[in-house]
Amino acid sequence: MKHNFVIKKLTLLKIQNLSKTYKKGDNKIYALRDISFDVEKGEYVSIVGKSGSGKSTLLNLLGGMDTNAEGAVYYDNRNLLEMKERELSNYRKSVIGMIFQSFNLIPSHTALDNVMLPLIFSSFPRALRRTRACELLYNMGLYNRALHYPSELSGGEAQRVAIARALANKPQIILADEPTGNLDTATSREIIDLLQMFNRKHQITIVMVTHDKETANRVSDKTILLSDGEIIKTTINKPVYNLDDSSTQKPQFNL
Amino acid sequence: MTISDILSISFNNLRRNIFRSILTILGVAVGVGALSTMISLGRGVSMNIAKQMETNDLFTGMTVSGRDLDMDHVNSRRSILSPKDEEIVPLTDSTIADLKRMPEVAMVFPEIIKPASIQFRGKKINTNLKAVPCEMGVFHPFDNIKIGTFYKTDSDPCVIISKNVLHQLGFALPNEDIEHISEHSLTVIPVDSVIGQDLDVITTVFDPEKIDLLTSTSKQLPIKNEVTNLKIKGIVETNSFSSGMFSGGIFLPPLTCEWVPCIDLNYVYNLMNDTQDKYGKYASIHVRVKDHSLLKKAKFDIEDKGLHVFSIGDKLDDLERLFYILDSALAAIGIIALLISVFGIVNTLIMAIYERRKEIGIMKSLGATQWQIKQIFYYEAASIGTIGGIVGVIGGKIISEIASNIANHHLGTFIDSNIEYFSYSLSIVGISIVFSIIVSIIASIYPANKASKIDPLDALRRE
Repeated sequence: MKHNFVIKKLTLLKIQNLSKTYKKGDNKIYALRDISFDVEKGEYVSIVGKSGSGKSTLLNLLGGMDTNAEGAVYYDNRNLLEMKERELSNYRKSVIGMIFQSFNLIPSHTALDNVMLPLIFSSFPRALRRTRACELLYNMGLYNRALHYPSELSGGEAQRVAIARALANKPQIILADEPTGNLDTATSREIIDLLQMFNRKHQITIVMVTHDKETANRVSDKTILLSDGEIIKTTINKPVYNLDDSSTQKPQFNL
Repeated sequence: MTISDILSISFNNLRRNIFRSILTILGVAVGVGALSTMISLGRGVSMNIAKQMETNDLFTGMTVSGRDLDMDHVNSRRSILSPKDEEIVPLTDSTIADLKRMPEVAMVFPEIIKPASIQFRGKKINTNLKAVPCEMGVFHPFDNIKIGTFYKTDSDPCVIISKNVLHQLGFALPNEDIEHISEHSLTVIPVDSVIGQDLDVITTVFDPEKIDLLTSTSKQLPIKNEVTNLKIKGIVETNSFSSGMFSGGIFLPPLTCEWVPCIDLNYVYNLMNDTQDKYGKYASIHVRVKDHSLLKKAKFDIEDKGLHVFSIGDKLDDLERLFYILDSALAAIGIIALLISVFGIVNTLIMAIYERRKEIGIMKSLGATQWQIKQIFYYEAASIGTIGGIVGVIGGKIISEIASNIANHHLGTFIDSNIEYFSYSLSIVGISIVFSIIVSIIASIYPANKASKIDPLDALRRE
């Protein structure tokens, strides 16, 4: 007997006819033009393009950091572009975790305090907050660096602290803006592997902006190529999973 | 986000630029110090004056006269010596008996004052003899005679002299302020050489042998001096707050005073004008009520009898109004000082916004709400206000203690006892600190609002 299984996809983000313009003199410049695509639950989406192609602008709109655009970005049937400030804060707090190229750790806070920060804003129980942050740092291999300040960490360590901070509130989506942009090749590989592991093992949806097309094709399910604010190509990939590769040491992670 | 979370973030921020935070806190401390000091000064001055008046029985004593001696009459240029006939009530022994029957009254006696000269140890001065009954021994200022004692009967042949009289004679006692002694070139004499010693009281009397002078063209008067010898029983301390009757001079029992011969100018005036029945035996009567709360009622009751009353006590409302104005003016100076320090808070927080712009952007990207960002700034300002308030109140207290000591050192010779010019109370401390916190939070509204509206995208772009 033959069974036909239909896997129903769950769309987390629905981007419809998204355009963003800014004025330069009398001219209207398109930062993004008529962008439409879906981000499914558990999907690894890479947005690739040259500098100025609109990658980061798109990511900021998906992260609710910017709402000044036309079209729509739907999450849970609600358009982010029409959300009030408080709803956007809640969205940023509970739905997404952001990772930046320049890590954006608060320099006056220790690694542990940086990881605890989103837990403070989401009113995570005070008694459990420290344990949760310590667990995350331990899983990132940074337990012995917990009380160090960002200036005392290497680039790879700082980015792993930033990833731990992004994961603190167990987000559904991680938005990564050039997460390896400031790192050397070996450390970049480590970070990309870490993100891939979260995606595959813990079904965390990842939207990553990168200019590295090769890495994007290697790790992501879908690669969106942007040029001058327009999608010029969407590629569905068969990503290479490195998770069973016993030759390299992979972090064991429980979220 | 709990209060301890916000406090932790706020203190972390204040610690980060500790020097600037300390300067801002000091600014607030100066403002709060000025505010609390000014309020306590106003309160201290009014309390001390009220206390001085109360201890000097100014709120319980009054002078009753048969004529209206109100200052308004002087201002309106009506002669106080020749009031209209219908306004005059004669003061006699029956008036005194009538006043004694009043339930509010504790003490009534006629104010008999005789002009005299006194001579003691070769020094002579002019002063007044004042008849005070022995029952006054339990009232101020005679209840606190430290040198000698008050007389026991109304006929003791003795006097109580005020310390001022002793000073006017050029003498001082060994325990007196050395600066005052040297300033007025007084001679220090032992207590034994004053108490129990004779005092020559010189009064002026009619000289029947010179009565012919009245009919001649001579400009001489038919008078002569008579010396009465009385023992000094005690020395009383009076000060500028004491009422007229007790402000200084020589005090002696009423019967003794009666024995001392002296021309009664009042009697002469009445005799010449044939007005003895009209003005009565006494010029004025001293009335003392049992408690200062009874003063107003007693005054109204006496006025109902057609008599005229003068008392400092019924000027209390005017005095309280004056103190209120003084308190308000001093508080206003303090508030202005505190408001100036508010600019320091606004400046510190606005500087903090520029320095922590990226940090605020990171917090917002992590989900911090506008209210949470505002709360961080409110708590920072409240922390500055609280620490500044506490430091200010402590500093103000220390400065006021120093100022009080300096003032007492310089004014000690003028006023007998040490006076606390600054009156701190728990309510002044509490109000100053709470006011400091409230003003600080108000000062943080604009910076907090500005910080909460920072665009995270714009903030994160800046390196």
